[in-house]
Amino acid sequence: MNAFTYATAHSPASARQLVADKGAYLAGGNDLLGLLKEYLVSADILVNIKSLPGLDKIERGEKFWTIGSLVTVAQIEDHAEIKETFPGLHEAASEVASQQIRNVATVGGNLAQHSRCWYFRHRDTQCLKKDGDLCYALNGENRYHSLFTGNTCISPVVSSLATIFASLDATAIVLRDGQETRQNMAELYQRAWENPLAHNSLKNGDLILRVEIPTTRSRSAYLQVSDRHAFDWALVSCAAAADVVDGKLKSPRVALGSISPVPHQVETANRFLDGKVLDNATATQAADMILKDAKPLEHNAYKVPLAHALIRRTLLKLKGDA
Amino acid sequence: MSNWPAETKYIGHSTARIDAPAKLTGKARYASDIQAEGWLYGMILRSKWPAAKILSVNLDKARQIPGVKAAVVARDGSFTIRFYGEEIAAVAGTSKQVCLDALRAIEVQAEVRHEFVVNENEARKENAAQVWAGSPNVPATPHVRENGSVDTAFPECAAVIKGFYTTAVQIHHPMETHGNTVSWTDDGVTAWASTQGVSSVRDGLAGALQLDHSQVRVITEYMGGGFGSKLGAGVEGALAAKLSKAAKAPVRLMLTRFDQSLAVGNRPSSFQKIKMGATADGMLHAFEMENYGTAGIGAGGDSGGGSGSADIPAPYIYKVPNTRVKQSAVAVNAGASRAFRAPGNPPASFGMESAMDDLAVKLGMDPLELRLKNDPSPIRQREYKLGAEKFGWKEKYQKPGSSSGVVKTGIGCAGAAWPAGGASRNTQGEAQINPDGSIEFRLGVQDIGTGTKTVIAVVAAEMLGLKPEQITVRVGDTRFPPGPGSGGSTTCGSVSATVFDVCTNALQQLQTQSGLADARGENWFAACKKLGVNPLVVHGKWQPGLTADHACGVQFAEVEVDTETGLVTVKKILGVHDCGLIVNQVTLESQINGGIIMGMGYALYEERVMDDLSGVVLNPNFETYKLPGIADVPDIEIVLINMPERGVIGIGEPATVPTAGAIANAVANAIGVRVCSLPITPAKILAALGKVPPATA
Ligand SMILES: Cc1cc2nc3c(=O)[nH]c(=O)nc-3n(C[C@H](O)[C@H](O)[C@H](O)COP(=O)(O)OP(=O)(O)OC[C@H]3O[C@@H](n4cnc5c(N)ncnc54)[C@H](O)[C@@H]3O)c2cc1C
Repeated sequence: MNAFTYATAHSPASARQLVADKGAYLAGGNDLLGLLKEYLVSADILVNIKSLPGLDKIERGEKFWTIGSLVTVAQIEDHAEIKETFPGLHEAASEVASQQIRNVATVGGNLAQHSRCWYFRHRDTQCLKKDGDLCYALNGENRYHSLFTGNTCISPVVSSLATIFASLDATAIVLRDGQETRQNMAELYQRAWENPLAHNSLKNGDLILRVEIPTTRSRSAYLQVSDRHAFDWALVSCAAAADVVDGKLKSPRVALGSISPVPHQVETANRFLDGKVLDNATATQAADMILKDAKPLEHNAYKVPLAHALIRRTLLKLKGDA
Repeated sequence: MSNWPAETKYIGHSTARIDAPAKLTGKARYASDIQAEGWLYGMILRSKWPAAKILSVNLDKARQIPGVKAAVVARDGSFTIRFYGEEIAAVAGTSKQVCLDALRAIEVQAEVRHEFVVNENEARKENAAQVWAGSPNVPATPHVRENGSVDTAFPECAAVIKGFYTTAVQIHHPMETHGNTVSWTDDGVTAWASTQGVSSVRDGLAGALQLDHSQVRVITEYMGGGFGSKLGAGVEGALAAKLSKAAKAPVRLMLTRFDQSLAVGNRPSSFQKIKMGATADGMLHAFEMENYGTAGIGAGGDSGGGSGSADIPAPYIYKVPNTRVKQSAVAVNAGASRAFRAPGNPPASFGMESAMDDLAVKLGMDPLELRLKNDPSPIRQREYKLGAEKFGWKEKYQKPGSSSGVVKTGIGCAGAAWPAGGASRNTQGEAQINPDGSIEFRLGVQDIGTGTKTVIAVVAAEMLGLKPEQITVRVGDTRFPPGPGSGGSTTCGSVSATVFDVCTNALQQLQTQSGLADARGENWFAACKKLGVNPLVVHGKWQPGLTADHACGVQFAEVEVDTETGLVTVKKILGVHDCGLIVNQVTLESQINGGIIMGMGYALYEERVMDDLSGVVLNPNFETYKLPGIADVPDIEIVLINMPERGVIGIGEPATVPTAGAIANAVANAIGVRVCSLPITPAKILAALGKVPPATA
């Protein structure tokens, strides 16, 4: 890796100041250190944000829960009341990587992680995402790539937390230019939809402080399928959340990961599901709507039936025993 | 009849690895643990182009970096690069970062060639880029073997199937990467090598460095797996030595996982077009196969190194009166193949056993019955019957695709053969018996993780009437009497017979010198004491009548397949194996467990993925080169057939052969259609089920 200096920040403001315009925030380091070692990212300073006060807490609230950006994925997984209140979040957290990674991976780092596209991650391919001229995956090895995109890069978002947060309509509170700004998951990734160089909508120096999850959806579920049972990235992941009143869905949201540069959400499908009693036929119709505009490529078309199955199963999971 | 004792205390029982405590406590020293005085890190600069002509390599800037102690070129003058990752130069320095910086400072002038090909099917096309200039990627004439007449035999068949069964390139990924610590001084070269063959590495290094064999010493106290890929010194070994000479300091050059994915060998792919027919009673009558595969640059043209071949045995373990087999290797711009645990056999087993099940379906026969009809080996016949009983084959077997529900279950089986597994007849060893009764065995073999040291201790304890923990075992040093390279599953037989001979000689001499009629067991110490002040050193070598070859083995698999997601779950593998006389049961079972898990990886996960456009290996790490993890490993049951009358036979290789075939057959049995291509991924399952829409782009 290239040489850098290192500093520990003790307040968000000083973190911002230290990182200046060529630095990077260092949280758990799972992603950042790999990127630095492969010369995929270079930073003149690493600003350790792990000592920022108060950001490592999970706080319950009446209307919403707050999860600090330094909370680890393992903390979420192990939190008994999260399992109770947001079962989908517990399930998503427990599917992230391995126990060792979950122990250090933070919520902020998970949301801000870079593309896992194997062309982007390869030290010797100069792809679009690295400001090269072409997307190698488009006509190449695209088995892990997107069914949807708004630009010419087909690398998908892979954060499992982003998928479940989207279905729970969670909001990231981001410190930007000295102001706290609010971005839902669609907004947090919108720039990756538009711009091949982007992994998310964060601008240099933006600091995720926390995530707020509204308590309006009492049911949530998350499912993913990988190539194997041992820890592995999702081929497709799916999250769904809703309240259920008199057996009918209220404010349902479905989101999918690993098939688009953003958590894939289709509002017409969410509206269609609103007020419906869940059964196989309804779930199937919703799945059809969600995948209607998919543009499968040579090697990733299997994601269409896979996503379809996961949408149906995740939705039916919402029914629970009630 | 073999000459092994009939009544045993240790042979055929279970002795825990004698070096387990050293391994568990970290006391065991592997090649990368050696901290020779003043040692440096070594690293290799690899080509970032799949094809190029290197015009010049300038090391000056690299040498100027503080901490860099040496830099050498991989080859002098101008040379041709034929695959992404081929070695260009190497550096030694005081830290990893210093080396990394130095690699980036090396100036390479190259003519980059845009004509290259990394895909077997592209490489076969007429106008494909030539990997070896001037010679076609596929030799003009394939290797052909013919028996009887397939052309007249096929019309005589009651059922004929055709299939195209393919297997992917499997990369060598032992847990310990390839590498050495090498120290070159005026006295000669010492290499602490991660190798399967201390002798072959010594000879290889001596040749590469133009030294006498006697000037090179190779030490391998412990090593973390090789599976066929660590029999030679490798480019990395010779480079480490050159760096050490230039730096006048020991150099530790261990490859990274990335390096490992490119240049230390692999199992060739296979594309097996099979046509097979049987008569109405289920007897195989005609078999025709055309197969090609790639051994990377080690195929086609003037393939100097590598295995140079992608041929597989066919029709594998079966006897078919009429056969025609045509095979050829296709050269591509990728790292060369190397021997890989049972070379040729797992792909052969997968193709043939898949064809067998497809034929059984066509004949309306139970696939196990078809095997019992056609398998010429009485040992496998016995194993199939025993295994079927244990596995509950009859109760579990359902017609393909007839299991109900979304998640379907299926079962399958397959057989193995391993022609080698005997012994190297040149194996020698010695024991030093001290007057205090302590005894040390010294053999120039290496324990590659299979438990060789423990085997030596077990056999010696048995023969001498001692306990295994009373035996000191030293291996992995070219100063010891020469042993074989650990290849072909021959090590166990080689050392068992040699230790038998050493012990026989030792007892004879000890009895003569001490005057005791029997120096074994409780008389041991008294006999040794009579030696006076001088220890007794006795030699021995492999002797006939103690070892054999040709192990068999069959495996049964039970799987669940989610027909909506394509996910395969292996629920159970039952392995029924034989390897002559069982020397040590726990380490034997460990070999079979490992073989099965490796076979699972081959069946379901492993595949080198290369990019046509850039020529790079896209999955050069364990994130995307997928190996089975513990969560994937099913219930493994092992049934052993002990055949002391045959003598000792190795097991390492046959254990991994039938797993992929058995799993593939179980998957086909579950879903009612066959996935003809390894690895069997969710994507391929969904495609086989006809669920995947066409691409739109
Ligand atoms: C083998 C493997 C498998 C994995 N599998 C999964 C999986 O299945 N699902 C999944 O979701 N993830 C998976 N991951 C990714 C892993 O979860 C992330 O790398 C991890 O969550 C990153 O968190 P971190 O705290 O280590 O981030 P870091 O590496 O410290 O940072 C990552 C990035 O985020 C930035 N950053 C960190 N914190 C903030 C903040 N508060 N505000 C703004 N920017 C910030 C950093 O500057 C950097 O660019 C896997 C990773 C590996 C290596």
